Amino acid sequence: MARAYRFFTAHQAAVVEDATARIAPGPRDDPAEKGHPGAREAGVTAYIDTMLGAFRDDPPKIFAGGPWSSRLTPGPDLMARFAALDPVSKIAWRHRLSRWQEQYRTGIQTLDRLAGGDFTQATPQRQDKILAAQAHFTALLFEHTIEGLYAAPEYGGNDETAGWKEIGFPGDVQPRGYTPDEVERSDGHDPVGHSGIVADVLELLGAL
Amino acid sequence: MTTAIVVGSGAGGSFAAMVLAQAGYQVTVYEKGPNHFTDLAGQVHTAFANDSLAMLRRYYAEPDPEVFPRTWRPNPSAPVQHTGSVDELPQVVGGGTVHWDAKVPRFWDIDFQQRSALGPVEGADVADWPFTYQDLAPYYDEVELLIGVQGDATRLPGLVRTHAPRGPYPMPPGPQMRASAVLAAGAEAVGLHPFPFPMAANSVGGYNGQPACNNCGFCSGFGCPLNARPSALVPLRLALRTGRVRLVPETMVTRVLLTGPAAAQRATGVSWTRCTERGRESGTDNADLVILAASAIETVRLALLSQFPDRGRLGRRLMLHAFTDASAIFTGERMHAYRGRSVTQCAEDAADPDYPGARAFARQHGLPYLRGGLMELGGSQDPISEAQSYQALLSFIRADKPFGTEFKQLMRASILRDRLAGCSFIGHDLPYLTHTVTLDPEVTDVFGLPVARVTWSAGKHEQVARQFWIPRLKAMMKQAGAAVALAVPATDNSGGVPTGRHVMGGMMMGTDPAASVTDAYGRVHGLDNVYVADGSVFVTSGAHNPTNTIMAVALRNMRHLAGGRPGLGLGDHGR
Repeated sequence: MARAYRFFTAHQAAVVEDATARIAPGPRDDPAEKGHPGAREAGVTAYIDTMLGAFRDDPPKIFAGGPWSSRLTPGPDLMARFAALDPVSKIAWRHRLSRWQEQYRTGIQTLDRLAGGDFTQATPQRQDKILAAQAHFTALLFEHTIEGLYAAPEYGGNDETAGWKEIGFPGDVQPRGYTPDEVERSDGHDPVGHSGIVADVLELLGAL
Repeated sequence: MTTAIVVGSGAGGSFAAMVLAQAGYQVTVYEKGPNHFTDLAGQVHTAFANDSLAMLRRYYAEPDPEVFPRTWRPNPSAPVQHTGSVDELPQVVGGGTVHWDAKVPRFWDIDFQQRSALGPVEGADVADWPFTYQDLAPYYDEVELLIGVQGDATRLPGLVRTHAPRGPYPMPPGPQMRASAVLAAGAEAVGLHPFPFPMAANSVGGYNGQPACNNCGFCSGFGCPLNARPSALVPLRLALRTGRVRLVPETMVTRVLLTGPAAAQRATGVSWTRCTERGRESGTDNADLVILAASAIETVRLALLSQFPDRGRLGRRLMLHAFTDASAIFTGERMHAYRGRSVTQCAEDAADPDYPGARAFARQHGLPYLRGGLMELGGSQDPISEAQSYQALLSFIRADKPFGTEFKQLMRASILRDRLAGCSFIGHDLPYLTHTVTLDPEVTDVFGLPVARVTWSAGKHEQVARQFWIPRLKAMMKQAGAAVALAVPATDNSGGVPTGRHVMGGMMMGTDPAASVTDAYGRVHGLDNVYVADGSVFVTSGAHNPTNTIMAVALRNMRHLAGGRPGLGLGDHGR
């Protein structure tokens, strides 16, 4: 892949892309996800790379601007103009990002080592086992996968709002908002499939 | 010329600044956090957007725990168990009213006379406020007219009319969310009395010169992109328009400077510090008056850093509301609670100590009474928070592989977002002398100052009240048609760390200097010219969202201080 990264090396990016695609697989990662974009399709790696390299820009890509994007209204995407960071927030984010950068460097090294040299060459089943064994780093990857899927696209992921579309979430809706009817009405009967993990979670929650 | 320094620009500080500036004081407002608004004196604009990441994950408005942590321990004999965010309110110009969904119920008459009306509770420090509901009612009226509240007084149930009598609201209620309406039907089916939740957001365009809310759904926890719930920005605007107010953001007041003999100290001003692009700057600022309005936990911290006189009550009686998170999951319909003002219905039945069965249940458990609190009927969560819930659940029930296709199946089914109608249940929190804000002996902030150490956990009354109300919440949700109804203490989801963002007490008002920290108008005992104008002066916690009461009490106390009516009347606030 010939794209330029802000923080990752090409290999680090490839490892993160494979790892996050195990966390949120898409059609290329799991046949069961046909028609359902995952981390790979939504650009989660670009999200994480944008975040870890946020200070490559001024203002840093930490807080998107506002009050709205151009998704529902003509004109410039005001969310794409990142907000200036106050000096204390700069200190905070430099601390946090340097910690995460180190966790990514060592985490990726560990994934490679456990895969016998190159995580991206391991089978998906082997990748799953390695990630399950690295609970701490996988939890961080999972958190950032979630953000890359469901944060506004201005942050570098959620390509073409694929993450939102996949779950039926409209995302940011200003300056349009919702009509009184959209707020008040029932959207009608829409039963959830009661099987597998959904049934297990409902059972668990019902027992609490 | 008389000068005043106000520490904090939120619910209390904005009213303090307005009253003092209108009365002729030259006022400087120090705000620790940044200003995310432009043209605060005119047609205010903001960069707040429908942005979950900035608000829920990246501390765009809340203090970043990397630089401003707090610590928490459950009781005074336990070690600190958490360092980081502890029940934080936004640290920006506008304070907590920047991210609130602006729900503004009033406290009840019995909240102000709790000791007289309901008697003492063993182990707690229940007391009366130095004024009554009737005394405060005109200030509630004025606050609600000023910031602009929507509601329907004709639909208030008898219980609320009895305990918090009032006139009509300035604006009618906006559209009612589907999730709220469904839970309200369940509430009615079990004998509760839901009604449109009073809210300080414009249902009518033009009020305060601001547009009507368009129900975008990014409400509780978010800055309003339209400024349709301008809240503290309204009194702040009036303050700035006097031309006598200087707003200083990104600057932390580190100490109130005191002078004089121990028995009769006065403040001469404050010291402050800030980070700039060129490094740290610090200085002092003199004033005739100092008003603390940094919200309860930070006001106590500043009082402790300043070594205020303390007869044993300073920083005690911290009250945080013992929230219960109830969730109704609907498997046959998507409830789309992402459309609307976070939640639009509420019920106050559980604030009533005489709710059928409550007294008997309390007595069985050795208490004279119990009170839950207001039920917020019909909220949900955003996709990032939802996904985090599944991440936690999968690590529990799929330990071998807590990620993958099953995560995506859960997101598509959306049982914890789109099929959820939540009920946030406020738990009346009794005042305890052992629930405190103290200075942490080890942890410091970015400026090297000791941070606030919060000591709090649900007491016996709060636990018994939950035992009584949780089955009733579940019955209400089942009657509403929920396939699954669960209700757990909010702290179960946070490792015990308090999270409700209703922060009160620590600088209690009272008439007895030995049993309170400030006098009946918020003046600190023993400090002639230092006042408190935030939730720290609360005597009890009520059973309701506290901000309306914070504003009304600040308005009352500052009017008393400034003397008489302001030069600018109500007709002059831009409507």
